[in-house]
Amino acid sequence: MTIFSEIYGAYFRIAAKLMKSASLTENDINNTIQTEGFRDSVLFLPQKLIPQKDASDWRLFRRNSDGTITPVTKKHPKSVITNLQRMWLKSKLSDPKIRLFLDDEIISALEVSLKDVKPLYLPSYFRYTDRFSDGDDYNSEIYRNNFRKVLNAVKSGEILEIAFTSGHGQRIRRRFLPLKIEYSPKNDKFRVYCQLIKYGKISDSGIINIGRIEEVNGTGHFCTIPVNMDKYFAERKCTEPVIVRVTTERNAVERFFMEFAPYEKQSERDLVSGNCTVKLWYDRQDETELLIRLLSFGPVIEILGPPDFRQKVSERVMKQNELLFKE
Amino acid sequence: MSGFSELIKNFEKTRDYVRDFFIYGFKVRNDFERKSARTYDDEKRRVESWLGDYLHCDDSVRGRQISITVDSGHVAENPLYQAYYSKSFTDNDIKLHFLIIDILFDGDWLTLKELVSRLDDDYGEFFDEQTVRNKLKEYVKEGILLTEKRGKTAYFSLSPDTADHFINEYKGFDDALKFFSENGEFGIVGNSMLKSAQLKNDLFFTKHNFIVHTLEDVILPEIIDAIGQKRYLTFRTFYAKNRLNNATLGEENTVIPMQILCSVQTGRRYLAAYIPEYRRFNSFRLDFIRMVKTGTSCDEYDEIHAKYQRNTDKCFGVSFGMRRDVGAVEPIKISFTIDEETEKFVIDRLKREKRNGILEKVGENLFTLTVDSFDPSEVMHWAKTFIGRIVSVEGGNKAVRELFYKDMVRMKKMYGGEENDDIQ
Repeated sequence: MTIFSEIYGAYFRIAAKLMKSASLTENDINNTIQTEGFRDSVLFLPQKLIPQKDASDWRLFRRNSDGTITPVTKKHPKSVITNLQRMWLKSKLSDPKIRLFLDDEIISALEVSLKDVKPLYLPSYFRYTDRFSDGDDYNSEIYRNNFRKVLNAVKSGEILEIAFTSGHGQRIRRRFLPLKIEYSPKNDKFRVYCQLIKYGKISDSGIINIGRIEEVNGTGHFCTIPVNMDKYFAERKCTEPVIVRVTTERNAVERFFMEFAPYEKQSERDLVSGNCTVKLWYDRQDETELLIRLLSFGPVIEILGPPDFRQKVSERVMKQNELLFKE
Repeated sequence: MSGFSELIKNFEKTRDYVRDFFIYGFKVRNDFERKSARTYDDEKRRVESWLGDYLHCDDSVRGRQISITVDSGHVAENPLYQAYYSKSFTDNDIKLHFLIIDILFDGDWLTLKELVSRLDDDYGEFFDEQTVRNKLKEYVKEGILLTEKRGKTAYFSLSPDTADHFINEYKGFDDALKFFSENGEFGIVGNSMLKSAQLKNDLFFTKHNFIVHTLEDVILPEIIDAIGQKRYLTFRTFYAKNRLNNATLGEENTVIPMQILCSVQTGRRYLAAYIPEYRRFNSFRLDFIRMVKTGTSCDEYDEIHAKYQRNTDKCFGVSFGMRRDVGAVEPIKISFTIDEETEKFVIDRLKREKRNGILEKVGENLFTLTVDSFDPSEVMHWAKTFIGRIVSVEGGNKAVRELFYKDMVRMKKMYGGEENDDIQ
């Protein structure tokens, strides 16, 4: 029982989708392969799905006298849940975050439905060694209600009035359009990406920790124009990437690239020294977090730029040396 | 490139290529110490085909470097899941899949002989009984088919559980699926359910998202099965320098598996295990593990597990230390200067990140954190995020303390203008 099986594969999925249509053209098949398949699937898959004169296809479709193509099956294929998927579901029922989405009676009904299923894993099989200890309280009913209201607004496009206390202790009550919800496994917290609404218009972008929300209410006003998230994130991004030289000392290349894997980056390696030069892009709001994580590598990396970022590093390093060697 | 297929039989080889393209992004063909250049070209083409626009080629002085560029915090679906959807199969596999499901669609219970006959009569497809029997057996194991014996004859029926059924029956199920398909263990399994219901995650993003972990989902089920069944586990480890070299078979390890340790900050995941041969605990990087095999039952499992639990009290991260090599280690004590009035957020940070450490206020604007850890170097790696606030470091061991002080001197030279002539 493994997830690496053809029954979950792209080719089976494409065939299943096509078999839900009573009448197809070769173009329909090619288009579905292009949208649902891998980039090169159009080179391999059409001749297996489209009936061939030499019968080298999979004979899952037949050609009609009018040239259209019809599945040989009589019913729409069912996508049956496998044991692996059932076991995964059973494990998720032990995750406190499931209650953000499902009511208690739904969870009970699922537990009954999956009563004979062995969980894929138990929570105790995994330990998060460095997760922050002040994660959101998923057992709090207030938190769950706030989460659901925000989630529903993300789906419906409703503008919400949200009252919360910011990270700097400032109490805020404004109107926001929630766009997407973000979870951090490091912080064990949810945040919501928003647009601030002023006088009925989008005025700025913002992120609100759901755990900091004190009150949230619908306004009955909806935003009908979809927000382009790429543009939203681009506006939040740093103007210049941080440039870092990573040396080979203390296995820094491997450690650095692993730790900063989630970042958008460009890297190049020097042929002689083996050192790498890396450009990292980041959300402006996360600058301090990036800075302290880079500091933790000590002298085996060097922040080369931009100058203001390097200056901030330099100030901390100088202050540190004063503290240690003030004599 | 005759004979090229975008589908693959074996995930292991591809796992390494995808990982290196994604993690490093600077490797060129020569860095992949394969015997054949064609293998590299085929793997590269496959990854290109699966990942489309995420794969980039850049010309450098060393040659053409391949990278997978993803801003992991802002993708709705982990692009590396694609690798799992590329398993090769035979013509019979796909034909039998759809035809058997079609025959059993209405909930009928049929015997092997009846199914073989219906395949021939209804679809003009002749299969020998053995081929169909094997497929039925496989699908019963997968949970796609149900079976029951009536007398001496086995009957088969289609399982009624579908992704659509769960989504329609249980309110909020689709949102949960969208979330857990990108978060938590085995997100790929949730993603496979989303895809079968023709849904996409359009609600959630994940910050601090190590999408590369999914490549370990191929070996994890066997490992956690061994943990659940309290069995021995055998596997081979391939260290970074020779991981891509076919010539080495890696190092074989026989262990008693305890737990999977995940660092949400460094992105590394480990198997914590007891090594009977050395009578000690150790942590093995999951991304370096291959060829996992569950062994016999371990009679002393509970006893060893209890000892493991006691040991984890002294693990700051994943290391069980090297006391035999470095000698006794004292608790490490780090003092920080923090302005209590204006920098409460730093105190909060220490509280939430200190793990098993004890935080004390010892003077005006002065705090100490004492950590009793097997490996003080793990503490110091984290403590360096507080550079600019560390007043002193005591305890631990001499080597760790000296390294910290030397590092600070080197950093002063690096950022203080004495060694940065080449900085523009």
